[in-house]
Amino acid sequence: MRRIIYIIPIFLLTFFSCKGEKADESGVYQATDTLPMLITQIQKCTRLYTAEVKVHKIVTHDDVIQLRGSLLQKDFNFKVPLGERKIAIPMDATLKAYIDFSQFSEKDIERSGDKITILLPEPKVVMTSSKINQKEIREYVALSRAHFSDAEMTNYEQQGRAAIIQSIPQLGIFEIARENSARILVPMLTELGYQEENITIAYRKQYGVGDLKKLLEIIP
Amino acid sequence: MRKTIDNIRSITVAAAVIAVILIAVWLYRALGDARLEIGTNDSINLTPTQIESIKAVGEWEFLSISTEELVDTTRKRLFKDDQLVRIYYGTLRLGVNMKQVKPGWIEQRNDTIFLTLPKVGLLDHDFIDEARTKSFFESGTWKAEDREALYKQAYRKMTAHCLTPTNLKTAEDNARESFRKMLHSMGYKNVDIRFKK
Repeated sequence: MRRIIYIIPIFLLTFFSCKGEKADESGVYQATDTLPMLITQIQKCTRLYTAEVKVHKIVTHDDVIQLRGSLLQKDFNFKVPLGERKIAIPMDATLKAYIDFSQFSEKDIERSGDKITILLPEPKVVMTSSKINQKEIREYVALSRAHFSDAEMTNYEQQGRAAIIQSIPQLGIFEIARENSARILVPMLTELGYQEENITIAYRKQYGVGDLKKLLEIIP
Repeated sequence: MRKTIDNIRSITVAAAVIAVILIAVWLYRALGDARLEIGTNDSINLTPTQIESIKAVGEWEFLSISTEELVDTTRKRLFKDDQLVRIYYGTLRLGVNMKQVKPGWIEQRNDTIFLTLPKVGLLDHDFIDEARTKSFFESGTWKAEDREALYKQAYRKMTAHCLTPTNLKTAEDNARESFRKMLHSMGYKNVDIRFKK
């Protein structure tokens, strides 16, 4: 009897474990092609764009052949003559600041009597477009060097784009976005019957002064 | 006397051998560290970003379509054709521009709020992020006009693929849902939203 008591749990354990294995074996592998999802991404959103800044940048690059090395424990580094290339690429970009209303709900509204306070998230900034002024690109190429390739030029343009995104916190667009969102929302609320002096638009302090870069929407 | 001369000679030879060894070691060390490389710098120079204009806008975005287009051009040559292939990226933003609303676009009658919104459309006609463009293949030399033509080709393709009646309808439906949700959270239960045709 005692033996049976020991055998039954072992039998049950073996039975269930075998069942699990069988289920895994019968699983059918399904290949998923993720490429179409990368090509076009459609996203529902609720954003209020309140400020637009147009910026201009001239991306420059000096391409010189450097001969570097060390001899007799002395380092040297000098330009190889007649091997210089230079390029200047003018580009324009549009940056827009927006308030994300996708999470907006009752908890973002405070009412007391005739007064209403709308609590908004901090504005975010995104680069909505950029344009290379192809006809204004200037390049100088020494006789011994090849012209700038398309791959090289797009690489410099991508670096210029990254530099513009890095400079966003210095452009002051966040302050303008905050002011302008009030200019759009206050008339809407007055149409709904609120007196202008009773409307307050406030922002949730989600980020500190040093965290401005978190508010940039960077598309790689 | 002869023995002394032999000793001096031996010492001189030994000193010469030691000197040769020391010079060899020094040269080995000095030249062993020697290196020579030719290189170029791929980084751009630091230049300022200039603000051209700042303006207030009031654009509600309800649908964002991020897309990429592979475009190419070929030039016929006697022996081998030249080809340029690039990938352009863009984001089309669909929504309503509040600068187009007419006075009285919000009306309150009894317990119902009536909203008349402008037609849903493309918020910004500049939607290509050309600085993000990737060069896929290049053979031959290409001019600014050729790249400009590729940009226009990508623009036409993106507009045709993304600015469809289905996407405009989705944006309109999302606009209706979003405004209703916002007004509900403000305490207005009955909301009627219409779009200008």
